[in-house]
Amino acid sequence: MVVAVGKHMDNIHMNTEKTSRQRVAKEKRPLIEVKNCTMEFPGVTALDDVSFTLVPGECHGLVGENGAGKSTLAKCIIGENRMTKGKIFVNGEEIKLSSYSIRESQSLGIAIVHQEFQLMSDMTGLENIFVGHYENKGPFIDWKEMRIKAAGIMDFLQCDVNLNIPVKRLRTAERQIVQLAKAVLNESKVLILDELTAVLQEKDIENIFRIIDILKKRGMGIIYISHRLDEILDCCDTYTVLCDGKHINTGIVKDIDKPQLIKMIIGRELKQVYMPINQNFGEKLLEVKGLTGPNAFRDIDLEVRRGEVIGIAGLLGAFKTELVHAVFGNHKITKGKIFVNGKEVKIKNPKQAIKLGIGLVPDERRTLGLDMLFDIKDNTTLPSMQRFKKWKLFQDHQAEAKAAYEHNEKMDLTYTSLWQNVKKLSGGNQQKIVIAKWMLRDSDIFLMDEPTRGIDVGAKFEVYSLINELTKQGKAVVLVSPELEELIGLCNRVYIMFEGEIMDVVEGERKTQEVIINSLLGINKNESK
Amino acid sequence: MNQNNAFKLKSKRYSEGWVSFLQDWMILILFVILVVVFSLTSSTFRTTNNIMNVLRQASFIAIVAMGEFFVILTGNMDMSISSIIGMVSIFFAGFAVTMGLPVWVAIMLVMLMSIVVGYVNGALVVHGKMPSFIATLVTMNVIKGIYFIYSGGLPISGLPESFNFLGAGYVGVVPFPVILMVIIAFLLYIVTQHTSIGRSFYAVGGNMEASKLSGINTNFVSIFAFVLCAALTAIGALGLTAKTLSGNVMLGEGLLFDVMTIVVLGGTSLSGGRGRIVGVVIGALFLQVISNMMVLVGINTFVQWVVKGVILVAVVLIDSNTKRD
Repeated sequence: MVVAVGKHMDNIHMNTEKTSRQRVAKEKRPLIEVKNCTMEFPGVTALDDVSFTLVPGECHGLVGENGAGKSTLAKCIIGENRMTKGKIFVNGEEIKLSSYSIRESQSLGIAIVHQEFQLMSDMTGLENIFVGHYENKGPFIDWKEMRIKAAGIMDFLQCDVNLNIPVKRLRTAERQIVQLAKAVLNESKVLILDELTAVLQEKDIENIFRIIDILKKRGMGIIYISHRLDEILDCCDTYTVLCDGKHINTGIVKDIDKPQLIKMIIGRELKQVYMPINQNFGEKLLEVKGLTGPNAFRDIDLEVRRGEVIGIAGLLGAFKTELVHAVFGNHKITKGKIFVNGKEVKIKNPKQAIKLGIGLVPDERRTLGLDMLFDIKDNTTLPSMQRFKKWKLFQDHQAEAKAAYEHNEKMDLTYTSLWQNVKKLSGGNQQKIVIAKWMLRDSDIFLMDEPTRGIDVGAKFEVYSLINELTKQGKAVVLVSPELEELIGLCNRVYIMFEGEIMDVVEGERKTQEVIINSLLGINKNESK
Repeated sequence: MNQNNAFKLKSKRYSEGWVSFLQDWMILILFVILVVVFSLTSSTFRTTNNIMNVLRQASFIAIVAMGEFFVILTGNMDMSISSIIGMVSIFFAGFAVTMGLPVWVAIMLVMLMSIVVGYVNGALVVHGKMPSFIATLVTMNVIKGIYFIYSGGLPISGLPESFNFLGAGYVGVVPFPVILMVIIAFLLYIVTQHTSIGRSFYAVGGNMEASKLSGINTNFVSIFAFVLCAALTAIGALGLTAKTLSGNVMLGEGLLFDVMTIVVLGGTSLSGGRGRIVGVVIGALFLQVISNMMVLVGINTFVQWVVKGVILVAVVLIDSNTKRD
């Protein structure tokens, strides 16, 4: 199979121009054709009469808010969901829906790569690529042959990933490449990338785009699902917008711009993404001096006042997350001081941090932010349980429900009952609950670690206006984000970290993309010191 | 007014429909059906005497199961309960008979011993970062070794007659153990549903990291679950000892399997975070009713083991296939 890869390699040259991206091959026979697909779950119509076509060499962006039906459509295509009505054609042949399964879609050459990994973390990259497709030499596995083939694929993708160490020791971006390599090995014709880049840094996303280009030239069709509209505009040839399970529009990417796309996605126009930043500051709420964590960050100084938002920028390996966790008492500190409200404090665990009025909105909503077995009420009141006591001993469920209700209503949460499990809520709604947790706890300092990761555009803007609202109430916000635009639009001051050190602090006129990017890459290290 | 109505609407339970209601109460429904069927078909089963007997037999094992419930709820497992039962039984008799201490002092001492064992279990898991299965397997064998060294494997009989009341006494027509079980179950129900420590057990079992980041002292909660388990197991062991009025190291043999079955029957998720005390009590009654019926019909012990095994497998299969996402 991989011999074919070798043949292709000769023809492929790095092509930085985006000419191929703009070419839409309408005349080619479609790889996938979905006709009038309707998907009904009990009580919900997830897809309503949606049609979708993918041709070879096309990168088709699938966009829409959370719950718009993007993932459901992808699942229908790979056979994980069985559509209620409609037809699917793969390579021009109609699929018998009653027996369609993931197994069959795989044998037809449809592969899906999720943001969450489907790799075996203790096995090496090589083993992961070949799992289920081992090369045999008699009764034994032919490792030598596999190594040669893997090197061929890596060459083809023009990537350099160490395949001989367990994948858990690879960077996130490298693990994604292993997944892509697996799809290449299986000679997939259709590749579905579902929120692949949600956890990647910009540099790595560029690399993924480059690989997508290579795959497109090989005649693969790619379905690209992402919340980041810039990526859709950068990398896709065509787009399809879904909203509430309905097909809104399909067109050619170069014919539209971002505002138009946003308008289609949320069904309204957003006049202003970022509101004016609050300039009305109070006293210093949090100050960190010379904070050092073992094998992580070094000599961190930062401060934030009431009504202020500070940003922390940094690439992977900048130890931003470790830094906020350290302030929250969840990461070791070897040196340095933390002052809250002007008083020096020793924070040994999150419990103490919470008592001091600090709240953490962690980057991993599902594993760190929420208890997936809990309902909305219990999740919202988890840090504040001690406040709702009857006779100092028993939990006052009614009072808890009332408080949870009030805060969640303020956040415009979409839900049917406070006793509803949080698992089924969309990412944006889940994030609102995580934030509501700390509002209910009356926290003063909000540490937000990538609060808009993996949530849709509409919900993103709501989070932005929420941050704005918090500052008006005199709260302080520490915002960690991989999106520079977000940092510039929301923060009074941005601290830029590089490999655990603060490289630069920008505010006012210096707060521009260029300055931040240079510091992110560690370029003006000497200049700033 | 309108605001109030909206709140009422959103604070309604079981808004997810009757399916989730049924799933929550499946074990109770099955239990009722079982009891009705047995009562209609067997005239021996439905006598007051027999029913009270079933309740009495279920009560102490239910108390032990409620202890195990907390450990499983927090996502761990305690394999050492059968050894704790043997330890409590033999040392209690040792203190009360051989050393001649007053019964209440002996009770205090064995309770203290169990709590220490529970703490050691919890500390090994939390601070030693050992998988609970291994840690408690180790304590299980160590304790076993200790009580065999102490007693040489021989029972110690001759406990005072008055102590018999704990295991075999009656209040009116109701056996005392049943009343004890109901009181403990009620208290634990209040703890799980209406106190913050109770909810912390669920939180820790559901998502340890998220709980920690929400300010819950997860180390304390995990250890406390083990301590609670050991203490409740000790109460159960005392009751079982009181029945025969002799300390016996073999008292806990084979109980672990029944306890696990009961906890799972009661709808407790083995991965933690889900389950209810009421479920555990019903689970205990369920298993006892089946054992009782098998005895009445004259099925021998070995066949009973097979049947109980099949029940456990069936329940776990149903649970893992109907799990709500």
